[in-house]
Amino acid sequence: MKSNKPQLIVNGKRTDGRDFDELRSPINIKAGVIENADGSSYIEWGNNKIIVAVYGPKEAMPKHMMDPTKAIIKCRYSMSPFSNLSEHGRSGPSRRSTEISKVIKEVFENVVFLNEFPGSEIDIFIEVLQGDGGTRAAGITAASVALASAGIPMRDLVYAVSVGRLDDELAIDLNMIEDNYSDSDMPMAIAPRNNEVLLLQMDGGLSMEQLSKGMSMVINAGKEISKKQTDALKETYESVSRKYEGR
Amino acid sequence: MKEFVVPGQQIARRGRLENSFTEKEGTYSKVLGLYDEHEIVPLEGTWKANVGDSVVGIVTMARSSVCMIDIQSFVRGLEVLRKYENPPALGSVVSGIVRDVENRRTVVLERVSVLRDGVLMKVKPAKVPRLIGKSNTMINQISELTGVRIIVGMNGLVWIRGERSALAMAAITRICEEAHVPGLTMRIREMLEKGRNDIENKESA
Repeated sequence: MKSNKPQLIVNGKRTDGRDFDELRSPINIKAGVIENADGSSYIEWGNNKIIVAVYGPKEAMPKHMMDPTKAIIKCRYSMSPFSNLSEHGRSGPSRRSTEISKVIKEVFENVVFLNEFPGSEIDIFIEVLQGDGGTRAAGITAASVALASAGIPMRDLVYAVSVGRLDDELAIDLNMIEDNYSDSDMPMAIAPRNNEVLLLQMDGGLSMEQLSKGMSMVINAGKEISKKQTDALKETYESVSRKYEGR
Repeated sequence: MKEFVVPGQQIARRGRLENSFTEKEGTYSKVLGLYDEHEIVPLEGTWKANVGDSVVGIVTMARSSVCMIDIQSFVRGLEVLRKYENPPALGSVVSGIVRDVENRRTVVLERVSVLRDGVLMKVKPAKVPRLIGKSNTMINQISELTGVRIIVGMNGLVWIRGERSALAMAAITRICEEAHVPGLTMRIREMLEKGRNDIENKESA
């Protein structure tokens, strides 16, 4: 059967005109968007629009899930019914969102100082308002901003981005079309201080050389993402300070 | 000049410091905060119970020997009652002092007293030190200029009673928003004096 795969590389550029090592633009992050949450953030990453709220630390419920030595993290990744053209036409958990919630939870279990809040829970809600591929990466990036804006002590400000293989070329930050028809797709979450890998999933296949090249592409692109995260956190406070500058 | 730091950011200091952690001889901030040479002041975050902290809470359960107090935290508040002492009514607002922290999860309170009338207001616990001010300057200023009685809990609950509590609440909201901007005490003084004059002009008119 003939594949209906579209041509993903045209004249050495990708379908949306990007270079292979170019992130989507814009990447806009805003911290503290939900008044009632302890921490929150909103990210626009290409056509992805994701809102994240963090509640806690609060008393762990239900009681049998409580850990008397450390905090537990609960994460709920969910795609809104209107977020996407296909497939996600219903709300509520699906096989896919349950898996993503689990892996995101494990990312943050490795960076949050859980032992400072024994017997408590920290809730992370990631709601995809509009999805265009790479929502788990954008969700993790936004969630670490939300956790920081909740004042939760962490070892690092995590970012995530995906890398994939289009025919024989490696490309960073795949969008929905590339994601669906790529030969391989690998989302990664990195703690930038020591470049520790906190999440690595892979669809399709990569050779060893491609894997290590892909990783270095992720780490290069991550510098830009990390800066956006820090700027977003700063902006919340600097916008207040600016009112009184020059007085 | 204070430097803005985010979690995982290295700070120019060796050795231990509150709200930081060390790794391979480097010192890194744990939290979102402002750093100067002596300390990292967190900009957000929950209250961590220390012995001697004053707290404000709501009674959620009252038995003959013990009463539970909701102190809006991941730790539970508890008051152990003396024999034949009447427990406070359910739902009443109380203030107390932390006597002991058991297993880092339960806070035992002493000198618990019921606060009657008044309004209860929630602020971010990270902003409470600024709301109180150095040797209580800020909170005394609000009480003096508005004539209200204020009890601030380190857990982020503030109880206010008085005729001009609305003005005091507006001032507290503004302090929490602008806690990191220098010159706050003066701005609040201006705001309160203006607010007081407005009220007095309206009354005399």
